[in-house]
Amino acid sequence: MNVSFLPMLSILIGLPLVGALLIALVAHVKWAKMIALTTAVLELLVAVTLVFTFDTSHADFQFIEQYAWIPTFHATFFLGIDGISVLFLPMTALLVLVTIIASWHSVQSLTRLHYALLLVLESATIGVFSALDMLLFFLFWEATLPPLFFLIGLWGVGAKRSHAALKYTLFMLCGGVPLLFAIILLAVNHAHQMGELLTQGLSFSFPVLLNTPMPDHLQTVILCLLILGFAVKTPLVPFHTWLPTVAMESPTQLSALLTGLKLGAFGLLRFALPLAPNVAGHYAWLLALFGAVTLIYGALIALQQTNLRQLLAYLSISHVGFVTMGIASLTLQGLQGAIFQLLNFTLIASSLMLMAGFIQQRLGSTELVHLGGIAKVMPTCTVFFYLCSVASIGMPLTSGFPAELLLIIGTFKYQFGLGVVGLFGSILGVAALFMFIQKTFLGEARHLPIHQLVDLRFHEVWALCLSSLLILIFGLWPQYVFDITQGSLALWLNRFLNLPLTLSFIS
Amino acid sequence: MEHFIILIPLFPLIAASCIGVLHLFGVLDGEKSERTTARIANYAVGLSCLICFLLLGHDYFYQNTAVLTLGHWVRIHDLEIKLNVFAHGFSLKLATLFALLLCIVMRFSVNYLHREAGFHRFFFVLSLFAFAMFTLVLSANVVGTFVGWEIAGLCSYLLIGYLYHRHYATYNATRVFITNRLGDAAFIAGLVLCYLWLGNIDWLDIPVFLHQLSAQKLNLMALCFVIAAMVKSAQLPFTPWLARAIEGPTPSSAIFYGAIMIHSGVYLLFLIRPLLELTPLIAGFVAMMGLLTAGYAYFVGLTQTDIKTSLIFATSAQLGLLFLECGLGFWQLATWHLFAHISVRGYQLLMAPSLLQTISGTSIQKVPVFLAENQRFYTYATQRFWLESMMDWLLIKPILNLASDLHFVDKQIIDPLMGSPAPTIHAISSLAQAQEQTIGAHLDNTEDTFAQGSGLAGKLTQWTATLLHWFEYHFILQGVSENVFRYGRHLGHIANQTELALLKPRYLFTFIFITLLVAL
Repeated sequence: MNVSFLPMLSILIGLPLVGALLIALVAHVKWAKMIALTTAVLELLVAVTLVFTFDTSHADFQFIEQYAWIPTFHATFFLGIDGISVLFLPMTALLVLVTIIASWHSVQSLTRLHYALLLVLESATIGVFSALDMLLFFLFWEATLPPLFFLIGLWGVGAKRSHAALKYTLFMLCGGVPLLFAIILLAVNHAHQMGELLTQGLSFSFPVLLNTPMPDHLQTVILCLLILGFAVKTPLVPFHTWLPTVAMESPTQLSALLTGLKLGAFGLLRFALPLAPNVAGHYAWLLALFGAVTLIYGALIALQQTNLRQLLAYLSISHVGFVTMGIASLTLQGLQGAIFQLLNFTLIASSLMLMAGFIQQRLGSTELVHLGGIAKVMPTCTVFFYLCSVASIGMPLTSGFPAELLLIIGTFKYQFGLGVVGLFGSILGVAALFMFIQKTFLGEARHLPIHQLVDLRFHEVWALCLSSLLILIFGLWPQYVFDITQGSLALWLNRFLNLPLTLSFIS
Repeated sequence: MEHFIILIPLFPLIAASCIGVLHLFGVLDGEKSERTTARIANYAVGLSCLICFLLLGHDYFYQNTAVLTLGHWVRIHDLEIKLNVFAHGFSLKLATLFALLLCIVMRFSVNYLHREAGFHRFFFVLSLFAFAMFTLVLSANVVGTFVGWEIAGLCSYLLIGYLYHRHYATYNATRVFITNRLGDAAFIAGLVLCYLWLGNIDWLDIPVFLHQLSAQKLNLMALCFVIAAMVKSAQLPFTPWLARAIEGPTPSSAIFYGAIMIHSGVYLLFLIRPLLELTPLIAGFVAMMGLLTAGYAYFVGLTQTDIKTSLIFATSAQLGLLFLECGLGFWQLATWHLFAHISVRGYQLLMAPSLLQTISGTSIQKVPVFLAENQRFYTYATQRFWLESMMDWLLIKPILNLASDLHFVDKQIIDPLMGSPAPTIHAISSLAQAQEQTIGAHLDNTEDTFAQGSGLAGKLTQWTATLLHWFEYHFILQGVSENVFRYGRHLGHIANQTELALLKPRYLFTFIFITLLVAL
């Protein structure tokens, strides 16, 4: 474990908060926007620096920071990243930057508060990715809720926005309960195993808990609790119903953020399986089944959708089901594919949702009956939409291909039937997406408002260019990402599979 | 010298990205810049063609290395995806023929598409297609071939839907694309099986390890690739997509479905030749389907009345014969047939419009007598044996029905079950209600206001309360006499309905399918 001389992670978490505070201080909207943009750019730069200074030959946690926080519980302010989480930081920063650029002109009321909340959300999300203390993680996890509640409720585009905000918050609070239980159980178990008094032996530190011995029945309970908690956020069927509602009601830049950031799947990967190493192998099939059902279910329902944003929401549910299958496969290829696909979401799913938002903003609707023949009047938007669509179905040359290929290899390796389900689900997804594209973008423009549509503005093109460029680059040179994640994932796998995985690439 | 081979697919890719990016940002747009676009595309393919011929000559005199490895694309643990290409033999010859045809068609299109709105788009897609086909033919590993395979499919989609404001063009494009995805899925399954069972995905190394596998595994692997080949080369039962695909501009039809892309299925059979030779069962299957397709396309082709469709069914029939030859193991014959058919059919389709011009006025050849006399068979042939409707009924309809059922379940059952508070907009739907609320009266509210919950827990409590209340009211308060029987019968009826619904074929098949998957 190496300790860097600059507290990079704290800077990453603190920077957006400072930006939010500055926004509170200035009165002028234009200045507030500029501050938000500058903060987002700075954040991205810091995050990218972090990736470049990240040492890929070390599989363990890096950039460790540990400060005393709640001494009575032995909870510390403990941050650190490894190969699994490091790439999520720049991607989060990029996604927030893109949403800020995309919503540059679309937020008309309470603009300052909007950007401040967005930055607070960014800070909490970075915290989720980098927290190594379970209590701190939970704090960040729940801290994403208040900004989201207000963002959905105040700037939502749908008529039922406050309902959606409430629904989202209630879902997440319910999901948080099993998480908190699991965390407390873990800490108490640590005290028991150390043979100390409850108050003295408590530990919330993730690296410590990883090595704490635990009876199998307790591991089963913890695994179930954690899977349940993260499944709500991921979302896995049947806990998915919040996502379509939120996608319909919330402001579209926020839908893009929510479909792009898959905190739940990250939680499954980071915490749920490694904390129950003995039983994870036995119960992985449960998670895989969960994922398979989500994949097929999401894709089938997507076939029936009549609204672009809802379609994208269901497709994203379907894709995340595949990612879950990849995680549950417990193979290096499946895991690599899962992480790569999660990173992809921040580029692809969010861009698609942003474009749906651009159309919503121009037409006031993304309903099928109001669309048709958009390609003629919005050619640039159509090109970007196609690029992201083919990336989302795993077309070669785009970043979707290596991810999907590895996911399929992983699931086939785990179980033959599951792989077949994966392939079937991906065909269904293609059918849903492309049939919808045919009806909305192509064909004759039937409605008058379509003819008066304006193609993408300069800032909108910029926002999409950033993501599109990365989609192509990752598609051509995916090995760069794999090199970063490889070491940590091999270590991750070794924890509960006693497979002789060679770590030769490290030396 | 041999290393120049990487430039063959690279030039068209660079051309495609140049045209694509410049057209997107409006630099290349309209009639003025047509010349620039045409130049970029033509030079790129021309250079590729030149390199092909140079390498072919080099191969003839000095013998190139069979496989050239240029590096790695992905390396994860034991999964190695190399960047390697065939620089020798059959693949190089085929690539040269493709390059030559691409050159001709590209040049032809410059005039053909002059002043078309989609001029730049057309050349972008055609360049991308050239890249895809070179990758497909030259790649020496399964993943590389698959990359070309997929992108060629995408290009085909983009050109069928070339006139994107026309409903039929886009509908056909989407349909063809989704049908082709079936084959792609089979291909990717074959790829994964190669990696899992052989630990290797290089075409030339696959035969070395094949002997370790059981017959069952060999058959499954061969079947995956064969299905992929059958979809791409429009063999039965996937033939109908081909007739839908000729919606695009004539040069693209010629190059995609007359000359190049349609033959990639046959090329795949050549690649898995060692595998087919070990699996007589699958080879027999290939031969049989080829024969059936040839017969089918022959009879359907006889009754077609427009030139492009009859040519496309002729293509289908010839492809069937090629599959037959490959299945029977006449590889030498198939090679000659392949090269001859590519050249002739490409030329025929390219010339189809001018052919119409020349023969206009002359009467067309009549339907053969035996077909004209047998009216029933004639009807079958004109209806293309209802193959497409059959597939719709067998495959698409059940899936769509299942989807609509699930959609209903999602909206009506799961969403309310997961609990969500009553939407605020529903809370006060009229002024009267608002007034009621202000005075604190609930005049026409039938629900028990004491037990109104939200969220999962809240709803559950509310439902329990309501249920108990219902029981109490109907059974205990109103007496046990007649209501018990009435509601009992009602419940029985609901149970019957549920059982009937569950016995519907789509659910039955879903259950059987799930059981099979689990058993696997």
